Amino acid sequence: MPGSASTTSHRSESLITRLHSASSSQNNETKLKVLRELKNQIIGNRTKKISYIKQGAVPFVVSVLSNCDCVNDCLVVVQCAAIVGSFACGVDVGVTAVLEAGAFAHLIALLSRDNVKVVDAGARALRMIYQSKVAPKYDFFEEKNIQFLISLLDRNNENVTGLGASIITHSCQTHDEQKILADAGVLKKLINLLGGTTNQRDASLESFATIIKENPEVISKFVGPENGRTWCTLIELTKDRYPRTRLLACKCINLIKNAAPSYLQYVGMRTKLILVLLELLDDPGQVGDEALFTLSSFIEDDEGLQKLAFETNTIDKLLNRTQKELLQAKRLQGVFITLANICSNLECCRSILIQSPKALNFVTDALTHTNVDVRVAACICLKNISRSVKYLSAGRFMTESVIMPLIQLLFDTSTSVQVAALCTISNIVVDFTMHKSLFVQNGGVKQLVQLSKSMDSVIRLNAVWALRNLVFLVDSRCKEVIFMELRALTLTSLVSDPSASVQEQALALICNLVNGPVDSIEYVFSEDGLLMNAVGRQLWSASKPEVLIQGMYVLCNVASGKEFHKEAVMHQLLPQPNNDGTQSIMVTMLQSDTAQLRTAAVWTIVNLTIPTGAGALARVVKLRNAGIVSQLKNMVNDPCLDVKLRVKTALGQSMTFGDFST
Amino acid sequence: MHLENLGVLCPTRNISLPEAFSGTQNVSSPLKEEAWRVNVRIQGCDLSHGYLCGTMEALNVPMADTPVVTFWEGEIVDTKNYTFFTNKWKATSEVDIEHWSKFPSFSPLLVEVDGGKSLDLSNYQYIFMRWKEQYFVNVGADCGLTIAGFYYVCFSCVDGSINGYYYDPNSSPFQKLELKTTNEGRTGFSFSSYELQ
Repeated sequence: MPGSASTTSHRSESLITRLHSASSSQNNETKLKVLRELKNQIIGNRTKKISYIKQGAVPFVVSVLSNCDCVNDCLVVVQCAAIVGSFACGVDVGVTAVLEAGAFAHLIALLSRDNVKVVDAGARALRMIYQSKVAPKYDFFEEKNIQFLISLLDRNNENVTGLGASIITHSCQTHDEQKILADAGVLKKLINLLGGTTNQRDASLESFATIIKENPEVISKFVGPENGRTWCTLIELTKDRYPRTRLLACKCINLIKNAAPSYLQYVGMRTKLILVLLELLDDPGQVGDEALFTLSSFIEDDEGLQKLAFETNTIDKLLNRTQKELLQAKRLQGVFITLANICSNLECCRSILIQSPKALNFVTDALTHTNVDVRVAACICLKNISRSVKYLSAGRFMTESVIMPLIQLLFDTSTSVQVAALCTISNIVVDFTMHKSLFVQNGGVKQLVQLSKSMDSVIRLNAVWALRNLVFLVDSRCKEVIFMELRALTLTSLVSDPSASVQEQALALICNLVNGPVDSIEYVFSEDGLLMNAVGRQLWSASKPEVLIQGMYVLCNVASGKEFHKEAVMHQLLPQPNNDGTQSIMVTMLQSDTAQLRTAAVWTIVNLTIPTGAGALARVVKLRNAGIVSQLKNMVNDPCLDVKLRVKTALGQSMTFGDFST
Repeated sequence: MHLENLGVLCPTRNISLPEAFSGTQNVSSPLKEEAWRVNVRIQGCDLSHGYLCGTMEALNVPMADTPVVTFWEGEIVDTKNYTFFTNKWKATSEVDIEHWSKFPSFSPLLVEVDGGKSLDLSNYQYIFMRWKEQYFVNVGADCGLTIAGFYYVCFSCVDGSINGYYYDPNSSPFQKLELKTTNEGRTGFSFSSYELQ
């Protein structure tokens, strides 16, 4: 029966007073009574735990523990350890309090006692501590610590071996630590524990996963054909009657597959694993949530596994689940990430979602979810679905229900949401049906331009990327609106951005800007040729091939225009008269190891040497004088077919004006 | 993974393909021969899967008030993803050979036995494809036109021209498609690109 607040407070103060007295008392009965009373109050009651911690209960309990004789005062010791463990269980401030009170060393000492109950109590309490992130980091680099850990794993005591496993799960973080543990034979010991009780199995599986995670070297040494027993054990555990055990076994197999995909191929577990994980989704709690994330990790970056997931009707099963019940945020996030991964490469998967209005609405509705992680996951899912060129061509994404929430996300307070939205928008604006005006009219361009000026380079990159794709084949009217918003000065600054990736996207944007009707070329000449000069400067100074390729294609496109345009390109490519010794960047590009760059350069020359132009002859002479024609002659047998063919065209066009061999 | 627009280049083949073509398709009817003007735009390519796609716009179509646009998907005969044998769309291997043989660039190739599986076409100056129209973009399916058949297509990397033959057992045979790259008012070649995330 709940007492009044004043009664409760009075009781706890009285308990603290009695605890204080007990810590200096010799009477075990007194101690036991007050300890049991305290334990009964705090077990399962977080509020009470925090209250007693604030009142300073922990040091008194530890003081009682430290003054106990484990031979004669076993019951008191066990109670103290249980209370310390309870304070630490799920309460980080509790862990901090027990550590500050010096409980750790006393608990460790309990592990070497003869009395099993004392050992159990000490081990359980330490496990509670090690479940918290504020627990002390275990130093695996100390040999004596490794020996101690092994001694724990060798004990015939479920709580002690569980403690050993908990220490590993908590503290093993780096590749070096994983290697030390693997070299010390810890993996073998953990595998042996898989034959133990459920708790031992689960704790061992978690530790095993911690040691092998993202460490191909450890995995390859441990899981080879000679370790067939390990595999058999793990596979058997995927059929265990306890869901958590099945999940942990699947997680371990997934980690092994991530490091050594061919190994899992050999075993042929792939489909079974997917089915086990799908079945685990029936669990409404943490097991079901983790099963989803394990499934999404399993199929990530593996088209073969995505196909298997498709063939086992994963999409339908996930969608059916969403329709049956309102899902919690974690589960929703998992659903979207899994759908995203399954749609990352396969058109058949994307088709299912796109062709179902309910499914697409489910995704777009989640763009306005209150939880950040759900919004990000929904964006990623939509991004992967919109990789479908087939449906981009059908204009399926350029609709208000898709565009409006995405534009709103560009204003999201979370950077990760903004980035995810930008990535999705950059696909959707590729829309081939030329309905890009819907995006433009709803304020999308304004915000993209704003984000292209962000201090955050990732946001800047993805904003420019989206603008590049938006400008691709856009109609003249929208192009004008975009350019007026973006302005030559902003674009110039992006062309020479500190990040090469941003430079690349900015140059590709300009390339798209000057493509289309020939008067589009005028954009690079606005404000006294600001953009044209910026592109030229970048070609002379940049080193990354990806940047140079896009810059070269800008000049290539400009060179496909009128005479004035071709002359402007010549001016950028050839050294200035007072720099006679400088080799033209065109020669440098033609000599590049990167075939795509050589291709772009030759196309530019093709455009500059088209014989019909009035200034064509003069340009050919200049190109010859700059050593470009002779460089082309060296390339008639270029290993790249495209280069070879365009060189032939360019030389043929140059020869129209006579052979320059004399 | 991303797709690069053909207007820049197809990475694994290292071939830059133009994105816009125009020309004609000869259409036979019981009464007369006519030629429809056709514009083709290539929109996407995924060479690792031998896939490309785009749109085809047919102008001056008698049954339609406006130009008719269809979306098509292509199979590139790279002998890895696809061979010269179609194995679907009611095209037998005899029909395949009959159509491919219409292209002079096909004659040096030994294909009859295994559809060309053992050939290496990565440096061949011609690219062979099949184009299959999937849906009408701007008109209804009841517009009076059919997209039941498919095209055998040959692209010349040398001059950028495209030739093709339409096959549909229920239509007149060997309707020819002839396209050239369009420079769209420019004196030279212009490129654009998108990159999917």
